[in-house]
Amino acid sequence: MPHRLGPMQTLPLPMHRFAETETVDYCIVGVGSAGGVLVQRLARAGFRVVALEAGPFWDTENDWVSDEKGSHNLYWNDLRITGGTHPLALGANNSGKGVGGGSVHWAAFAPRFHPSDFRVYTQDGVGVDWPMSYWDLKPYYELLEREIPVAGPAWFPWGDPHGHPYGPHPLGGVGDVLVRGCTRLGIRTVAGGPVAILSASHGDRPHCIYRGFCIQGCKVGAKASTLITHVPDAIKHGAEIRSHSMASRIMLRKDGRVDGVMYFDRDGGEHFQRSRAVIVSGYAIETPRLLLNSACSGHWQGLANSSGTLGKYLMAQAGNVVAGRFDELIRLYKAPPAHALSEEFYETDKRRDFARGFAVQTVGPLPIAFAKQMIAAMGAWGWGLRRVMMDYNHWATLGVLGEILPWEDNRVELAKEKDQHGLPVAKVTFNLHDNDKKLIEFGKNKVMEIMWAAGAQQVVQESRFAHLVGAARMGSDPSTSVVDKFGRTHDIPNLFICDGSILPTQGSANPGLTIQALAARTADYLIRQGDSIFLSNQRDLTEPEIRYDLSPPYTNFKGNPRIA
Amino acid sequence: MSRKSFPIRSSGDEIRDLDQPGYYAGFSTMAQRKYWDQTTQDVVSDRVQETPSIQFFSAQEATLLTAIIDRVIPQDDRSAARTIPILPFIEERLYSNLLNGFRYEDMPTDQEAYRLGSAAIDEMARTRFEQSFVDLSVNRQELILKSLHDGKPDPEHATWQRMPVHRFWGLLLEDCVTAYYSHPWAWDEIGYGGPAYPRGYMRLENGLAEPWEKTEQRYDWKPPADSVSEIDAQGAPLEHEPLQGHGGTH
Repeated sequence: MPHRLGPMQTLPLPMHRFAETETVDYCIVGVGSAGGVLVQRLARAGFRVVALEAGPFWDTENDWVSDEKGSHNLYWNDLRITGGTHPLALGANNSGKGVGGGSVHWAAFAPRFHPSDFRVYTQDGVGVDWPMSYWDLKPYYELLEREIPVAGPAWFPWGDPHGHPYGPHPLGGVGDVLVRGCTRLGIRTVAGGPVAILSASHGDRPHCIYRGFCIQGCKVGAKASTLITHVPDAIKHGAEIRSHSMASRIMLRKDGRVDGVMYFDRDGGEHFQRSRAVIVSGYAIETPRLLLNSACSGHWQGLANSSGTLGKYLMAQAGNVVAGRFDELIRLYKAPPAHALSEEFYETDKRRDFARGFAVQTVGPLPIAFAKQMIAAMGAWGWGLRRVMMDYNHWATLGVLGEILPWEDNRVELAKEKDQHGLPVAKVTFNLHDNDKKLIEFGKNKVMEIMWAAGAQQVVQESRFAHLVGAARMGSDPSTSVVDKFGRTHDIPNLFICDGSILPTQGSANPGLTIQALAARTADYLIRQGDSIFLSNQRDLTEPEIRYDLSPPYTNFKGNPRIA
Repeated sequence: MSRKSFPIRSSGDEIRDLDQPGYYAGFSTMAQRKYWDQTTQDVVSDRVQETPSIQFFSAQEATLLTAIIDRVIPQDDRSAARTIPILPFIEERLYSNLLNGFRYEDMPTDQEAYRLGSAAIDEMARTRFEQSFVDLSVNRQELILKSLHDGKPDPEHATWQRMPVHRFWGLLLEDCVTAYYSHPWAWDEIGYGGPAYPRGYMRLENGLAEPWEKTEQRYDWKPPADSVSEIDAQGAPLEHEPLQGHGGTH
C-alpha cells in the first residue's frame, strides 16, 4: 500500500536509509514547521540529512479521522508539569507529535509579523529588539507564502501591506459575525484568510471542502503542514526522516563541538546518530528540555546555556475566546476555524495604558472543545451544560490573540518526574505581568464589544493561551541570548536551534509562517556557509542571498499578487 | 449499575425516556456514515458499538463514580437504550494512562485525582446527609457537587487541602464532556453535522442546514424543577477564573 499524504499525494518511496554507522552532515531533531522546511532545503542543496521525529510518520488516509476525539494522538500527550500564576495548558492546546509537528494541527492562520515586532524595545521600551529586521525576513515571508501557499485577500492593510497568492475563502457563519460586528464599530477586517489552506487545488493537493476539522489534521490535504508541503520533496532529494525516534541527548566531542544525537527508537532501544552539525527543532518546550538534559562536563547548566537564558523568556499569546449567542443559527463547525481577522489593535496605542496590542480572529470549536469553553466561560455543568450545548448551533466564537511580553520568570526547566525513557520531563512556569494583564483585559472587552455589535444576545468569555515561543531566544549579545540571528548557538559552533523557541518577542500574529520563514533563511545561511559550518569555529554573520531555486515543485511564481 | 437505579423524581415526565433529546428531531449523523471515509466510519462505529470494560476502578468505585457522572452530565431524559456511556471512556483513559499532555504542579496524577476526589465526595455525603453519595436523592447529590462547582466544598474535606477543588472539578467535567460530546447521539442532540470527509459542507453561511442536516425545531425545554445545576444568569462565578480553556482553538 502506498503511504498516503492526502487523497492524491503519496510518499516518494523508497526513502533513503543511512546506515547506523554513517556520519551525516546534519541531524535535525524534530520535523515540525521549522524542521520540515530545513530538511527539505538542506537535502535539495545536496547535504546528507537525517531528521529524527519523536512521533509517527502519518499516513493521512489510514491514521487520521474526521473526528474530534479520534484525533487526540496528533498532540504531544506525554507528561509535562505546568505551573505558575497562570499555568499553560499544553498537549492539544499547542504541541504536536509526529511528522509535520504542530503544523499538522495548527488552525493555519498565516499572518506576517509587523515591522514593529522586530524592534519593540526601541519603539515601545518593552521586551527586546530582534537581532534582525522585518526587511531581512520579508523575502522569506513572500517565498513561504507561495510554497505553503497562503490564501487571503489581495489587500492586507496592516503592518507591511501585502497580498496573497491564493484567493480568499468564502465566509462561514463565524466570519460573518466578525465582519459584521467590526464593521458596525468602524474596525477594518479582512476575510477569507490569510490562512495556509488551499482555496484552489495546488499540485497534488485538493482545495478546501469547508468541513471545519483543521485542528484535527486535514485529511483533505488542503491545509498546509510540512508533512505534505516539504517532507515529500525532502525525501525525493535523499533525506531520511526517522520517525518514532525520541532524541535523549546531544553528545559533544573532546574539542567542544557537537558529535551527534542519542535517541530512543519505538521499542526503547538506544541509538547514536553521528553528524557534523546538529539542528534542534523541537519547539519551545522540547528544545530547551533536550539541551538541559544534555548537560555534561563543561556545560553543567545544559548545552548552549552559558548565558543562563536557556529555557527562559518563554511566551504564549493571550488566546481568550469570546462566545456570543445569537437568536439565529450560526453552525460554527462549518468552514475553516481560521478565516477572518482584524489587526486594527496590533500596534501600541499611546491612549491605552499598556504597550503592544492584539488581533481579533475567528475560531471554530467542535463540540468537545466548545463544551470545555462553556465549562470555563459559564461555569456550566449538569442540566445547565446539557441545555447550553443544545444551543451549540446558535453560538459564534471569536478569539483574542494578544502579545504577551518576554519575561525571565516564564520558563522551561526539568521536573523531577521522568518519562517512559527515564528522561526528566519539562516543567513549565508561566506568570502574567502587569502589561499582559492590562492588554488582556482591554482585548477581551474589545472583542466582547464586537460580539455585542454583531447582534449577540448573550456574550461570555474564557481565559486561555495560544501558541508557545521563546525559551532559546536569538540575540546579538551572547550573555543575554542563546543563539545568533541565524539560529547558531553562541556556545557551540556546529549546534543550531531553529524553531519557535528562538523568537525574542512574538507580536500578535500566529507564529507558524514566521517560524517557517526563519527556517528557510537559516537553511540559506547554512548552504551559503557550506563546509565551514563543519570545519570552522568562525562566525560569519553576513546575510545569505535568498535561494529561489530550492522551493518544492509547483511553487514558482513571479511574486505575490497584491493591489494598492 | 445504571442511573435508573437512582431516584429520578426530579425529572419532569415531559423530558423522560427520549430516544433523542434536543431540537433536531429525526437528525442522525450515523445515518450519514456511508459518506464518511473508512477510518472514520470504523472509529465512530466502534465508539457506538463497543463499550470498554471496567478494569481500573473497583466495582464499588465504579458505582460511586457512575452516580457522580450521572449528575455532572445527567441523562435522565434519555431512554436506557440511548444512554451514552461516560465512565467506561474515562476508565479506559486512566487504565491505559492516556494523558492530555500536562499535569498541574499542584495536582496528583489523574488516576490518583479520581480516587481521592470520588472518595472525598462520598465522605462529604456521609458527613452532611448521613448516607452514601450513591443513596442520596438526586437533589442532595447535586447540592454536594454544586459546592465543588462553586469552589466552596460543603462540608469541608481534607482532600481539598491537598488537591485544588476547581482543578479536580475541571478534570472531571472535561473528561465527561469528552466522552459525551464525542458520541454521535450527542451530535444528533445538538444538531452538529459530524464527520465530513470526503463530502464536506456546501452551505456555510446564515446557519443553513445541508440537505442531509435538519433545521432546528425549538420547544420549551425544562430542566427538572428542583435542579441546582442550571447556569446562573451572570455566567461563571468568580471562583472559576482559574479554570482555563484546554481546547486548541487558534
